[in-house]
Amino acid sequence: MSEYLLEMRGITKEFSGVKAIDGIDLKVRSGECVGLCGENGAGKSTLMKVLSAVYPHGTWEGTILWEGAELKARTIRETEEAGIVIIHQELMMVPHLSVAENIFLGSELTSGFGFVDYDLMNARATELMRQLKMPDINVALPVLAYSGGKQQLIEIAKALNKNAKLLILDEPTSALTAAETQTLLELVKEFKSRGMACVYISHKLDEVAEIADTVTVIRDGTHVGTLPMAELDTNKIITMMVGREMKNLFPREEHAIGEVIFEAKNITCWDTTNPDRKMVDDVSFQLRAGEILGVAGLVGAGRTELACKLFGYWRGDHQGRIFLEGREIQVKTPADAVRQGICMVPEDRKRHGIVPLMGVGYNMTLSVLDRYTRNRLIDAEAELATIQAEIIRMKVKTAHPLLPIASLSGGNQQKAVVGKMLLPEPKVLILDEPTRGVDVGAKYEIYKLIFELAKQGVAILMISSELPEVLGISDRVLVMGEGKLRGDFPNAALSQEKILAAALGNPATAAA
Amino acid sequence: MTLSKKDLRRLLSEYKIVALLLIIAIIWGFFGFLTYDADLGGSQFLTARNFSNLLRQMAITGMLASAMVFVIVAGEIDLSVGSLLGLLGGIAAVLDVLWGWPLWATIGTVLLLGIAAGMMVGWLTAYVGIPSFIVTLGGMLAFRGAVLGLTGGITIAPASEGLKVIGQGYLPGGIGNILATVVFVILAFLAFRTRSGRIKHKLPVSSMVVEVGKLAAIGLVILGFILTLNSYQGVPVPVLILLVILGAFTVIGNKTVFGRRIYAVGSNLEATRLSGVNVDLVKMLVFGLMGLMCAFAGLTTTARLAAGTPSAGFGGELDAIASCFIGGTSMRGGIGSVIGALVGAVIMASLDNGMSMLGIDTFWQQITKGIILVLAVWLDIVSSGNQR
Repeated sequence: MSEYLLEMRGITKEFSGVKAIDGIDLKVRSGECVGLCGENGAGKSTLMKVLSAVYPHGTWEGTILWEGAELKARTIRETEEAGIVIIHQELMMVPHLSVAENIFLGSELTSGFGFVDYDLMNARATELMRQLKMPDINVALPVLAYSGGKQQLIEIAKALNKNAKLLILDEPTSALTAAETQTLLELVKEFKSRGMACVYISHKLDEVAEIADTVTVIRDGTHVGTLPMAELDTNKIITMMVGREMKNLFPREEHAIGEVIFEAKNITCWDTTNPDRKMVDDVSFQLRAGEILGVAGLVGAGRTELACKLFGYWRGDHQGRIFLEGREIQVKTPADAVRQGICMVPEDRKRHGIVPLMGVGYNMTLSVLDRYTRNRLIDAEAELATIQAEIIRMKVKTAHPLLPIASLSGGNQQKAVVGKMLLPEPKVLILDEPTRGVDVGAKYEIYKLIFELAKQGVAILMISSELPEVLGISDRVLVMGEGKLRGDFPNAALSQEKILAAALGNPATAAA
Repeated sequence: MTLSKKDLRRLLSEYKIVALLLIIAIIWGFFGFLTYDADLGGSQFLTARNFSNLLRQMAITGMLASAMVFVIVAGEIDLSVGSLLGLLGGIAAVLDVLWGWPLWATIGTVLLLGIAAGMMVGWLTAYVGIPSFIVTLGGMLAFRGAVLGLTGGITIAPASEGLKVIGQGYLPGGIGNILATVVFVILAFLAFRTRSGRIKHKLPVSSMVVEVGKLAAIGLVILGFILTLNSYQGVPVPVLILLVILGAFTVIGNKTVFGRRIYAVGSNLEATRLSGVNVDLVKMLVFGLMGLMCAFAGLTTTARLAAGTPSAGFGGELDAIASCFIGGTSMRGGIGSVIGALVGAVIMASLDNGMSMLGIDTFWQQITKGIILVLAVWLDIVSSGNQR
């Protein structure tokens, strides 16, 4: 019998020739909690998907030893039967079913002939809730009656019901309040004392420091190191997470920075589903003409929510004032924003950026079609002339201007979407993850364009999860964490460590 | 050269309208053969008189389908149009027959009421956020109830002579010929202007031979159309109205900002909203247009029957929706054309007309129409390669 419950050796997973993770090792003993840390996109989720057989055995390289024997699971059900249970970041609950029904979903208890035995199920669910120290939960009520935090615990009850030996928690506290987080951490500690193993993935390093026995850090898909928590502190983890060389990927150009053109005051946004939770919490900042302001922070820091609010697209409750060129403006809809000179390139290109069935060119003129009319009819000549000029300026590679945009590569789609938001000639341009899912060449072109716009005096707010990008492009960097503004730094002498420390709300390094 | 399956598929999806015309030809040929009667001197289906009747029958469904295309392209549905047609037709009858209003006042009032009713449905859907399926299902019941209340469940007759012209009149042959010539000249002019524009912007164009061939085919269709109708009594007024609507709606769909936005909204609502387009307004206006077409259809129905009846337009929404889908409109929104929907309406009307002529029981007619609808959409899915 091996000393480890789980041993993953040299795990490599490729996606169409690109290695998402490359030779990663992960070892977990019974009764141990391993913290798994890494930046966004480092490969944590990919590794866990390999382990839970979301990617079946054979689609990746390396070996997984489970209780000393090789595990060759092809379905999630097999790994669950072995005792590996994963709790995803987004809760997998059916909101209108009861707590008990959710816990037993897929393994319903029956009294024969396919009839559900509700009494037995409810009794067992109540017993589980008692074990989780939540006796006040009524298991017959629908899940949606409970808060996000309670739901997370119900999800854990579901895992317990499956006799989990290894519990994988992927960002379990990203939607929880401080009190709920504490309950969850206490629970994990108790599981450990009972011999259950746990892999804890979180950006919140203080939580990792509190409950992990060992920490494994991965970066860009490779294994950086595994050390006992006793030899580490949060600063050391941050250094391990970042520690990468900066290459000259960024065609930085000098540009003059002018007067304050845009100002946001006390912006607060509440969650759409949980109206007590603040997604953006009292954020204020100024933006100057020709300035590139980077917004850094981890996933869930409230950056996209802030951008949506500024663009008139936030669906939940919100408050705060917006000033453009010294005048307070009302932005209730994206149409208001565009009309007044604020444009946004959204984060999710497929859902919010492209109109897939329409041509590249027609996508680009969508915001400004009114300009090309004569006697209320579209002047096709004028429109096409603009489209062609724009395609050349944005370097969009397309066989002809009216090809459906969905048939282009991601990078070219993105360039077209950026082009669409430039045609209204914005004074303020919000870019939300402008280079996500874009190849290196297109990235470079988008960076050049950003500098070009800054030179012309456009104020740019660039949200990015790639710290090198933030450092390589911005004049100034805002750091957000848990909805709050955690820092506002000039880019000079700023480091990835400093940004990350500020994002994590770690005062020790923020001061350093 | 052999035509592979893939080539055929591409041909059919690029020239969807050709495929649909082919289907019409098959249906007409089939009924023409079955109704052949040597004693009566030929096929009863393929006569100028029947052709004229058939077009008059489809005119009302066609009016509804013209606007329904935009509703479906925008990603919505309208189930209330049959009932709204009935209500507006009933109001027209009351104004015309019982109150003796002048024709212009009757028409103006009904058109305005149609727009208002459509806008209300659109407002509830776009601004209040109730799904259009629900709003219009409610409208279907409520409008029909209003018709029954308005007419007291009885037929209101007789309509004035002026109103009857809308449904029963014919355009004199000479004017018909002139109009047909003008339409052809305009189409030819537009085709060459578009072509030169595309060449100027280095967009792919089809060869001159194909272009001229296309125009010649269109010319032949127009010529055959006008000669056939003139050999009976001329172009029926409702058909003329429908053709004007076809022209206007094709221009709206292809040449106006509003039209472009309808397609954008249906293809990706959120991306369109984030481009700074007032998508709620676009949706409301689409329903307004639908209401206007219900008014046209209602007036035509009342005029054709020379009376307002409580059951007018019953089931009209289903015929209109089926016409759109047969004509290649995508259920998921973003794709569809007015001409396609009208060809779909011709297919439905041909089936009705032909089977009635053969004395086939109504129940068989309905079964056949149902099968044709499913078959047509299946063909569309196969030909466009949208299989899952």
